[in-house]
Amino acid sequence: MAIELQQVSYIYSDRSLWKQTALHNIDLSIPQGSIVGIAGATGSGKSTLLQLFNGILKPTEGTVKVLDVTLQAGEKSPKLLALRRRVGLVFQFPEQQMFEETVEKDLCFGPLNFGMSLEEAKERARKAMVDMGLDLSLLERNPFRLSGGQMRKAAIASVLAMDPEIVVLDEPTATLDPVSRAELISLLERLCREQGRTIIIVTHRMDELLPIADRWIVLKEGQAAFQGSTQELASDPSILERCGIAIPQSLRYWRAVADRFRLEGEVPRLTPKALAEFIASLSSDISHPEIEKRDNHE
Amino acid sequence: MSSEKLLLGRTIETGSWVHKLDARGKIIGMLLYVAVILLSHSWPAMALLAVFSISVMASTRIPLKYFVKAAKPLRYLMLFIFIVQVLSIKEGEVWLTLGSLSLHQDGLRLGAFSVIRMLFLVSFTALLTFTTTPGKLNQGLEGILSPLKKIGMSPDRLTLMIGIALRFIPTILDESQIIMKAQASRGADLAELPLKEKARMLVSLLVPVISSAFRRAQDLVYSMEARGFRMDAPRTRYHRLRWGLADTVFICMFVVMGLAVAIL
Repeated sequence: MAIELQQVSYIYSDRSLWKQTALHNIDLSIPQGSIVGIAGATGSGKSTLLQLFNGILKPTEGTVKVLDVTLQAGEKSPKLLALRRRVGLVFQFPEQQMFEETVEKDLCFGPLNFGMSLEEAKERARKAMVDMGLDLSLLERNPFRLSGGQMRKAAIASVLAMDPEIVVLDEPTATLDPVSRAELISLLERLCREQGRTIIIVTHRMDELLPIADRWIVLKEGQAAFQGSTQELASDPSILERCGIAIPQSLRYWRAVADRFRLEGEVPRLTPKALAEFIASLSSDISHPEIEKRDNHE
Repeated sequence: MSSEKLLLGRTIETGSWVHKLDARGKIIGMLLYVAVILLSHSWPAMALLAVFSISVMASTRIPLKYFVKAAKPLRYLMLFIFIVQVLSIKEGEVWLTLGSLSLHQDGLRLGAFSVIRMLFLVSFTALLTFTTTPGKLNQGLEGILSPLKKIGMSPDRLTLMIGIALRFIPTILDESQIIMKAQASRGADLAELPLKEKARMLVSLLVPVISSAFRRAQDLVYSMEARGFRMDAPRTRYHRLRWGLADTVFICMFVVMGLAVAIL
């Protein structure tokens, strides 16, 4: 397991008048090399949960195990620098993350902090820029002069430059245009499938993540209301509605098809193309069973 | 973290009678309280001051520990004042001699008075911000300053500045917290760095905090202009200030206290 939480609670401003429970008694496990989506209505504790993953927040109750580091409530935490390199966290607002005069310096900030040489750091920065589809001429620019979309990509690049094993992103596609969004999702998919990294994404746009996600965690009022594979979620998406989330279109379409043909235990088709092909194969099954049989024999 | 420790400007709503008072009355009351403190010169006066202050604080139904917390940041200053007083005043009976240093009775007494005064001054005046929302406080201040209009000054301008500043302290603190977290995530955790590195990191914290404060100010100006805000324009208030009997009683309390401690 890349990340394991055991009965974790998190309370903001514990022991004060303004105390607020953000997470309540959460058990979850995220396997290594998987893509995990986290959904939940606003204020359900998503961002708090992410900050537990690299030790920015320490649990007020329970145990958080990330890679080989264990954070236990009430115990002094070990040095977290090594963990932070291995778990890259991209925050929700890129402007709160960039601060250097140039994009290049900003991208080198992480790698340099983790003890890389300047040459190496610059090399990493370049690679991350290319991965994010950003023009290398932007490296000399002031990050605050970038457009909203470029800035977000640069913020993600600054985390990828650290070469983390686990990449955690808080609504990474929020201010991106549709093309960049699709590019980012496919980049994240490559990072996972080709390089074996674990990808955790908080999203309000479940539709774009559903086709590639292995698992989902749905939060409701600081509790894990659902935890399981995309297939399990597709078999009963009504849990989302109970958590205050509209059921994504792709799940609706899949449900409509699956219910119409009384399918059970089928792998959900969550892209238009896959669904179309699936329907085509179903209808050919029904109307021309002989042709299908003959095709199979050849 | 720091925003939890920071009590400045935080209102604690309990609905007590002090909460319901007119903000102008509370501001005047606090000014009178400062005078009462300055007039207390003897142990009986101090005792009376303590009984009075603690009972008013208790009547707000806010736990007393919050008042103590408000004075806590000044504990080293209080200690410093105490030591200076004790060492510099060389009157009265000598209690203890250590080489060239000697401990005099008056020094001890005046040192203790200074500390008690400081303690009550800070913790009692915290009552004002604990029981009054920043908006009402500001309105009260504007009410008190309104005579200044006659000599051509604009209390509106002043209170608008104070109001905006107070309003954005927690916002900017919260934002710095997020920026610190983002930087800790990239390997620059203030808590784990050596001192020299810490200083360097503060610069990288200040740049985004200040730039976002400017951005926020710009947005605020646009949104105020978009809603037709004009300086010094006559406007109707959502909350009206209303002076009641309780406010007069509140003020009188301090006047009576002042007289009492002056006599004692």
